[in-house]
Amino acid sequence: MGCLAAAKIIMHWLQGSFPAPLLAMLILLILLLTKVVKEHYLAPCAKPLLNFMPLFFIPAGVGFIEHLGIIAQQWQFLSAVIILVPLTSLLLIATLICAFKGRVEHD
Amino acid sequence: MIELWWLSVPVIISLFLGLKKLNSSITNPLYKALTNPVFITITLIGILLVSLKLPYTQFASHSQLLSSLLEPAIVALALPLYQQFVHVRKNFLLIVSSCTLGIINATFIATLLSWAFSVESQLAASVAALSVTTPITLLVTDSLGGIASLAAAMVIFIGLLGALFALLILRLLGVHNHQAQGVAIGTAFHAIGTAAALVEHPRIGAFASVAMALSALLTALIVPLLYPFLSQALL
Repeated sequence: MGCLAAAKIIMHWLQGSFPAPLLAMLILLILLLTKVVKEHYLAPCAKPLLNFMPLFFIPAGVGFIEHLGIIAQQWQFLSAVIILVPLTSLLLIATLICAFKGRVEHD
Repeated sequence: MIELWWLSVPVIISLFLGLKKLNSSITNPLYKALTNPVFITITLIGILLVSLKLPYTQFASHSQLLSSLLEPAIVALALPLYQQFVHVRKNFLLIVSSCTLGIINATFIATLLSWAFSVESQLAASVAALSVTTPITLLVTDSLGGIASLAAAMVIFIGLLGALFALLILRLLGVHNHQAQGVAIGTAFHAIGTAAALVEHPRIGAFASVAMALSALLTALIVPLLYPFLSQALL
């Protein structure tokens, strides 16, 4: 929370558009890598947040009911986007990594 | 009816936790994916609000407590990123290249589809930054002039599709490398896909967390520069 607050203050100072939670994550990562913050100190707080992360998306997810008009009108376009955009990325990335690392894990 | 809004958070939590417990007792991978607790909770609450004609804005403001935990949860992603740093350091260039490729592909395919379906510019901008976690989508879509809440809903549905089918598709194609599975899922299906991957195998989940975190950073840097260029060329 300290990192998040610090990031929000920094972004407010800089008046930048870079997302504050992301900057906070980078600050926390640097603190962990430099051993300023210890992993065992952070884990009891971070693990529940990570385990229940899907719960925090539910209110935003229900937001689709606000756009039923656009969804009904453009369902073919939106379906094509929802399927093709992640599928092509998934296949491209998996192919790229398998080309370098193989299809089965060796390490 | 209005005085019952305080039930929003307890209803979401109990429904989600009940479904999560039920889902954890299922061993069949297909049934497990189809009974994804996030997907079912969202569908049930959506049906409830629409059928009772309850306004979403009020539901959203009364469930703010949960939404506000999203930001600290993103900060907490530093932990799996740190824990996997050894693998990231060893494969840093490959993982960063993969995430960059995924993000450029997602924006390119979305803009290409907008051109093919001749949609208006606001809708085209709404689908330009979908390969990333919800808060970043909201911020980037807004900066591109799109409908942020529609983009957020689409990101959730993409995540749900990922939680349901991503690992099945990769396994069907013979991809059993945890790094390939994790990075592909984390980049293409962000948080919900990552959450499902964490449940499936901690190593896949860790790579997915790394890819998701890097994608969030790279999307915020790349898409606001790439989309205006692509939309000018195609739309």
